Amino acid sequence: MSRLDKKSPSLCTDRPLDNTDISNKLNLLRQLLKSCFGPTARLKQVHNNIGGHVVTTSSSSVLLPVISSSQPFINLIKASILNHVSRFSDCGLFAAIFCLALIEQAKRSGLRGNVSIRVNKHLLALCSGYLQGEDCGCKVKLDFCSSHNLITLARSIVSSKPACVLTEQETLHISKLAVQAFLLTVPCSSSGTVSLGKIVTVSVEGYSVLTSVVFPGLLVDMPDGLCLTKFDYLSNPIRMVLFSTSLAGDLSDLGDGMIEVHAGVDTESQILDQLLELGKQVVDDEVKLFVCQKVVHPVLQQYLRSHGIIVVERVGITIMEPLTQLTDAQPVATLHTKIPSKAYGKVRELSMKQFGSKTMLHLQPLGESVICTLLLCHRNETMLSELKVVCQKTEHVLRLTLREPSALLGGGCTETHLAAYVRHKSKNEAPEAASVLGCSQTEYLLGVEVFCRSLEFVAKALQHDGGNSLIDLTHAHHWTLPADVLEEHMEDSLGFCGCGLVESSPSRKWTFLDTKYTEFLPLALVGDSRVQPRVLDSFTAKLSALQVATETANLALDVRYIIQDVN
Amino acid sequence: MLESTILNHRQHVGLQKLSALAGVSHSCLGPNKKYKFIQDDVCGESALACSCFRIIESLELTCAVGQLVHETIQAHQNVYHTGSGCLLFLAGAWSRAALDCLQRGISVAHIISAMSEGMDVCMDVCRKCTISTEGLAVKRDTATSSGLQLQLAEKLTTNASRVSNVNHKTLNISEQRKIKLSRHFCETKPQPQLPDITHIAEGLSHGCDDTMTLVVEAFQRLLKTNQQDTSQFMFDISKVVTCVLPGLPEQHACVVPGCVVLLSAEQTLVAHHLNEQHLKVVLINGDLSDTYRHLGFKRLKGVQRVSDQLSASSREDEWLAKVVGLLLNLEVKLILVSGLASEKVIQRCCTHHVLVVEKVKVSVLKTFADSTGAIPVTYATQLSKHCVGSGAGVKIWRDLGSHDSKSATAVNVSAGMSSELVTVVLTSCVHGKLQALEDQFWACAYRLHHALKDRALLPGAGRTEMLCIHHLKQLVECSRETNHSQQTTRGTAANHYRGVVLHLMAEGLIDYISTVMVNTGRFSKVKARMVLSRQLQNCNKHLGISENFSQLFLEDDGEDSAVFSEMKPVEALEIYDNLSVKQEAWRKALDLVFLVLQTDAEVITGVGQKTDAALENVTLL
Repeated sequence: MSRLDKKSPSLCTDRPLDNTDISNKLNLLRQLLKSCFGPTARLKQVHNNIGGHVVTTSSSSVLLPVISSSQPFINLIKASILNHVSRFSDCGLFAAIFCLALIEQAKRSGLRGNVSIRVNKHLLALCSGYLQGEDCGCKVKLDFCSSHNLITLARSIVSSKPACVLTEQETLHISKLAVQAFLLTVPCSSSGTVSLGKIVTVSVEGYSVLTSVVFPGLLVDMPDGLCLTKFDYLSNPIRMVLFSTSLAGDLSDLGDGMIEVHAGVDTESQILDQLLELGKQVVDDEVKLFVCQKVVHPVLQQYLRSHGIIVVERVGITIMEPLTQLTDAQPVATLHTKIPSKAYGKVRELSMKQFGSKTMLHLQPLGESVICTLLLCHRNETMLSELKVVCQKTEHVLRLTLREPSALLGGGCTETHLAAYVRHKSKNEAPEAASVLGCSQTEYLLGVEVFCRSLEFVAKALQHDGGNSLIDLTHAHHWTLPADVLEEHMEDSLGFCGCGLVESSPSRKWTFLDTKYTEFLPLALVGDSRVQPRVLDSFTAKLSALQVATETANLALDVRYIIQDVN
Repeated sequence: MLESTILNHRQHVGLQKLSALAGVSHSCLGPNKKYKFIQDDVCGESALACSCFRIIESLELTCAVGQLVHETIQAHQNVYHTGSGCLLFLAGAWSRAALDCLQRGISVAHIISAMSEGMDVCMDVCRKCTISTEGLAVKRDTATSSGLQLQLAEKLTTNASRVSNVNHKTLNISEQRKIKLSRHFCETKPQPQLPDITHIAEGLSHGCDDTMTLVVEAFQRLLKTNQQDTSQFMFDISKVVTCVLPGLPEQHACVVPGCVVLLSAEQTLVAHHLNEQHLKVVLINGDLSDTYRHLGFKRLKGVQRVSDQLSASSREDEWLAKVVGLLLNLEVKLILVSGLASEKVIQRCCTHHVLVVEKVKVSVLKTFADSTGAIPVTYATQLSKHCVGSGAGVKIWRDLGSHDSKSATAVNVSAGMSSELVTVVLTSCVHGKLQALEDQFWACAYRLHHALKDRALLPGAGRTEMLCIHHLKQLVECSRETNHSQQTTRGTAANHYRGVVLHLMAEGLIDYISTVMVNTGRFSKVKARMVLSRQLQNCNKHLGISENFSQLFLEDDGEDSAVFSEMKPVEALEIYDNLSVKQEAWRKALDLVFLVLQTDAEVITGVGQKTDAALENVTLL
């Protein structure tokens, strides 16, 4: 008999942003994520309360999923950022920090909520328009004739995660590999619809990063050293079969409930007979490679091996798609029917590769290969797992460049440049804009200040060692001044701006980011092709992040009540 | 839920934890190791631990830094089996250096870049002062007089800096290859010399001389039976098995060809019956029981067996009858199982004079598969004629004659006439010491293995470290000088910090050597440091012989190093370290420091509303 509890009433929070508990938590989240931003970021150790494996990271894609709050308000923001990360991989921290800064600045400015929202929307449109326009001063066209910019883009992403603990040389090596692997996934022949291949990442612990390498084709792990089949020569092409169902010989998916079985019936041996029947067909059809996503019954394995077939089991779900793409095989999902002949796939060449403690089977396709394997090595697991995350992110960002071959200046320069542009633009059109948005000019300009400060806040977040952030008054790029440099030596110690495009010179003028400067139209650098930016950000990802952040902040500013069912 | 601790940067708690944890490694360094008791207050159990990784393993570390340390040491131990003490000590020493830097207001970025540079310097020093194992063979043959030995030793340590005029005895591998390619040298150059194993092993024993003797014996037995290609002179660890026998004095440890296992009293009878016969053998990769299923097999839940007649025998009996029938049919007399065998199977097999050996290492199964032709199977029911191997043998090795214990007799199981396996029998009267002895054996075995694999060694007894310290300090001087000359230029601050960081890093290494010296029992901490600083000064004065450090751990009180080695050349045993192990341990130590140094918050998941009241310094999100 169940006991009835009295239902507790729902919890209602009025004006959540004015709630001290919520604003403290927002503040904490902002601090936490801000300290994860950029190449000199501080890392976070993630583990559960009873010890367990420790993950050391500064990636939003690892950190955000493990953060869960008792406040639905926080979870709302988190979910929205995570959604961006899952679509674009990059700029998650940018989006989160910008969003939280917008909320905080808007609250502090004392503007009415709906005015902030309208101004934010207006400015977002202004920014998007500028970024997508031809005369954008912080955009670089990517030239696919040279890999230079692609490598720069990759390197900016790889170097932005200090938990990888890479040296300069190692960063470059990984960036080059990432670009090489990406280029391998782009097919050469361009008839009809072009479909990109895939990079499969295999990680090997305990070796130097510089031993990491890219192979065209697929490397599949062969964990069981005991039953390695020796093979010398196989006729070309090699016929193969791919199973997606478990061949372990169990009846796993029978559902709940009791089953009554006659004592004399041996279900296991009956399934095994079925498996061996399958094995017989495979042998008759002259298959030489037998791959299964899940477990293969040892008796079946032995049978197949005794007929000279190479058996690979437990390849895992992640390998299945590239495997079908590479071999043209159709995964067989049942063991109860005959395998149709069109389900068989073909491989051009097989070879064994030994990498540290790992033995792997190298599959090469018949035609052109758009599948490649990126073998990543690092000295320990912590750094290796972060490196893996970073490489997958880089792959995604490089793919995005195919749709939109541009990149934005990195190192905080896009943010400061954009802020300067918005300030200049909105100053000139204040009267019209204010009337359109239905607010006073002062309110409008205050809203602009909120937006620009939030952008600059992101640029400043790159600095973690107490240094100062500056902006130059011609191109509005971002500069950092180390904490220990006196202001007299400023020119000498500035060197280059954040993205590396502008060099310091005596004629240049700077101002600190916190100070008010008279607005100006930031100049684009005119075609000096000798100077190449050193840090680039993904254009598509950042544009989306800007939108996601603004819209999430607007939503947060718009929330009047939180009603929580606590039962 | 989320906990987050924002730390005060100048008092980095993570680094302090790391430094405190590293304290346990102090007694594990150097040739004279000390045992530690680890006691569980709850159940009163205790363990005796001698190596750093066993201590860390036994401590239940729940904090994030502790977990990180545990994972790092585990990973290192699994590959190298030695050097985890050095790893942990340096992680502690360098985390103190990093803390010191933070307290002086040096930014994290500066610390990291300077320390990375310092590590590059150390790695470079290691590469440059390697001693080729092949070169050592020559050295032993020709350099018998002590004077020449000294001279050579000096050359060995400096060979990289004088590559151009170095003689062929001290060439490292890459140079040797170059010469091989030249047709002028082809004819005259003799076959590559076999490294002098005894000499190398002595140098690598690091105080475990008795254990190292066992290793060398095992190695030589393997060499005899396997007749390896001499160009690939390796120590195949997978062919070595250990067998621990409690109750015998430690001098009884020995090396036996074949695979020695302990058997129970009733199985001993079977073994006596099978003694010195040619046997048919099967290999089971898994457990030998009717309930065992291969990995990944999901058992059916909620199955009820219904029957219309009373059955006399259970399923287990049916399975047993089938298996035994099969075994008898195939005339199998020996079964090696990688997992466990059920009691019933063992008993039934005993009655049919079939010997079942449990818990056999997979590498041993593989050797048996290779030499007897047997094919390992997962299920006994799967056995057929072509899975059976032949030519295996069982030999009673020693009757241990204990009355009550389960393991009564040690039996030697071999795969055919020329057994490829070697068993090292380790004995001790103190049961708790056996684990430590076994660890020690593997540490020594892997040291020899790595030496032959690297084909190079490092000068040991602190000489490599001293060389690194010397180079680091030179770099510190350099940065100080440039500081003076270029007062106002860009990056002055960074350069100044660089000097400080590198100096502290070198101090960490000095701390390491002096701790080892103190552990030898011949030095006080003060004296050790004094000796070290004098050596460093000496070496600065006489730049010509700058790289000739003496072996610090052997040195007697206060004697001058040069005098020492000239006066007692006979006693001066050359001590070596492993190249790859040292480099990897240092790198991992620094990686650990970097990861912790850069961390400013812990995110703890799964903290409930109720528990958080107990936690201080915790902010809930």
